[in-house]
Amino acid sequence: MHLEPSMKQAVIRRTVRKFAETRLAPVAVEMDRTGLFPWDIAQEMADLNYFGLEIPAQYGGAGLETISYAIVIEEISRVNAAMGLCVAVHNGVSASPVYVFGTEKQRERFLVPLATGKKIGTFCLTEPNAGSDASSLETSAIRDGDNYILNGNKVFVTNGGISGINLVFAGIQTGEKGKKFSVCIVESEREGLEKGPTEELMGMRGNPVCPIVLHDCRIPLENLLGEEGEGLKIALTTLNGGRIGIAAQALGIAQGSLDVSLKYAKERNQFGKSISEFGAIQDFLADMATRIEAARLLIYRASDLKDKGINHVRESAMAKVYASEVAVDATRMGVQIHGGYGYTKAYPIERFYRDAKVCEIYEGTSEIQRMVIAKSLLNE
Amino acid sequence: MNIVVFVKQVPDVPNIRIDEQRMTIIREGVESIINPLDCVALQASLELREREGGCITVISMGPPQSEEALREALAAGADQAILLTDSAFAGADTLATSHVLAMAVSKLQPFPDLLLCGMQTIDSDTGHVGPQIAEELDLPQVCGVNEIHMDGHLLVLKRLSEGFLDTIRVPLPALLTVSKDLCPVKNLSLGAVEAAFSQKDIIRWAAHDLGLQPDEVGLKGSATHVRKLRPPADRTGGRIVTGSPQFIVDALIHKLESMSILDEEDGNE
Repeated sequence: MHLEPSMKQAVIRRTVRKFAETRLAPVAVEMDRTGLFPWDIAQEMADLNYFGLEIPAQYGGAGLETISYAIVIEEISRVNAAMGLCVAVHNGVSASPVYVFGTEKQRERFLVPLATGKKIGTFCLTEPNAGSDASSLETSAIRDGDNYILNGNKVFVTNGGISGINLVFAGIQTGEKGKKFSVCIVESEREGLEKGPTEELMGMRGNPVCPIVLHDCRIPLENLLGEEGEGLKIALTTLNGGRIGIAAQALGIAQGSLDVSLKYAKERNQFGKSISEFGAIQDFLADMATRIEAARLLIYRASDLKDKGINHVRESAMAKVYASEVAVDATRMGVQIHGGYGYTKAYPIERFYRDAKVCEIYEGTSEIQRMVIAKSLLNE
Repeated sequence: MNIVVFVKQVPDVPNIRIDEQRMTIIREGVESIINPLDCVALQASLELREREGGCITVISMGPPQSEEALREALAAGADQAILLTDSAFAGADTLATSHVLAMAVSKLQPFPDLLLCGMQTIDSDTGHVGPQIAEELDLPQVCGVNEIHMDGHLLVLKRLSEGFLDTIRVPLPALLTVSKDLCPVKNLSLGAVEAAFSQKDIIRWAAHDLGLQPDEVGLKGSATHVRKLRPPADRTGGRIVTGSPQFIVDALIHKLESMSILDEEDGNE
């Protein structure tokens, strides 16, 4: 059993940390304040392979394994969670399924632009009446000659405002009532696809999350990812991997909180001494660090199983539920260490606190993750 | 133009700790990086190769884990990497290090046109190794270069010295040590890091590969002996004066006078 990162993983962490601290940290406040996406920096990231992390080099990606992928997401999220979210969703649930389930022609048409960062990807599953319960999807696809005609409303689409390629989950109508749950690749410029206004979110405000409406949107049959009726398989496989990305993102937020809180605790004096000398502050720091390390190991465990092609449904769910709860707790403790200043925008910890919460909600709520874990235990 | 770049793996400076008993830097549990000025030298070599063509070889002497620095240099774009590693090399001072590095360069076919290294390292900070390699190989050397151009077969170099900007013409082959102002170091692409680990090989040479005897290298081959080693003293923080311009100027003059830096007699009154 090797619990140390490899030489390559150490270089990956150092490389990403340097880039994140010099390029992504300085724009984090502005992204949070204005919601504007920094396209110039995204272009730099594209040139450095950040949009094709696990995609093989032949399609323009970096060809990393999952532990390195998790390290990249952690290091970005440590200073700029909204950008971490953009990269995690683009890679984990958009580029990745096109690679895994796409035909060679689809890889050329859709994966190459995604992996090289020319197009940003989304994963459009959630609808006003279908979230955790994906089977109640209402978006429909009707075959019409060489086309499918799509109609439906997708909400809370991460990267929505900046996307060029969208994976849309829809039911292909078969006869009167039957439908085959499927995935359609819809380019943003297609007629009949419209993006709604950016959501006013509590955190992750630097990511343009918005609704996507499909109204008689025609796509050619070759835009179907996988076979008709393979949607659930694609969704479940994708979300298993995607959970590792969200867990890594939560880990990054937690680690970022610990780092800024440690610094603050050493700098802040009260009662004539550094607050880091007080037991109450030390308890917070020790709890944060211990739980962060545990979350990190769960993420590496799930990633390692994924790389080995071993079923990792339970481990991914464990990593996701645990890391996101650690992020929420660690940011809460971080605000507490900062005291009144932690409640102001003078320090990044309030942003971390707001950014952390959604990790318990998207890509399967904590409650859904626990259902998944319990089901796998009971079925053993 | 065939270029050799020497790189050294050094501990990340904010974390430096000294083993008082052995008078060495503690490396366990400390993050290691490529000496930052060596990264500048490597970046300069990439830009020269782009203009002039040729091949870049990175060379490092160090323990087996120095492979990490060489892989990183391959990720940055070097063509081949040579690790000079042998337990006999341990404890080398700058002279013994330069000797091993010079012998490795002599073994290269063809002999390189240009040798580059950072002007000093952040751990031992001597600035000796580059000049000593040049002496041993009988090459012209210019230290602290901050601009490099080619003019026919000559290198045209600029460097700051004692407040002057020197322009120096040097024939090849030559050895240059570079300053941080030469060029900004670019970020590594993640695909290049992956390829540097999965697709490239590191050449490893030990003392016998270089025809070196044990008494020429490492501690035995060293001309100096370290008596005391200490981390650099913490810099005392500055003081920021705020207020109206008049207040700031008065406060500054008062402070400089109190430190006897500004002599009251020399005022402009």
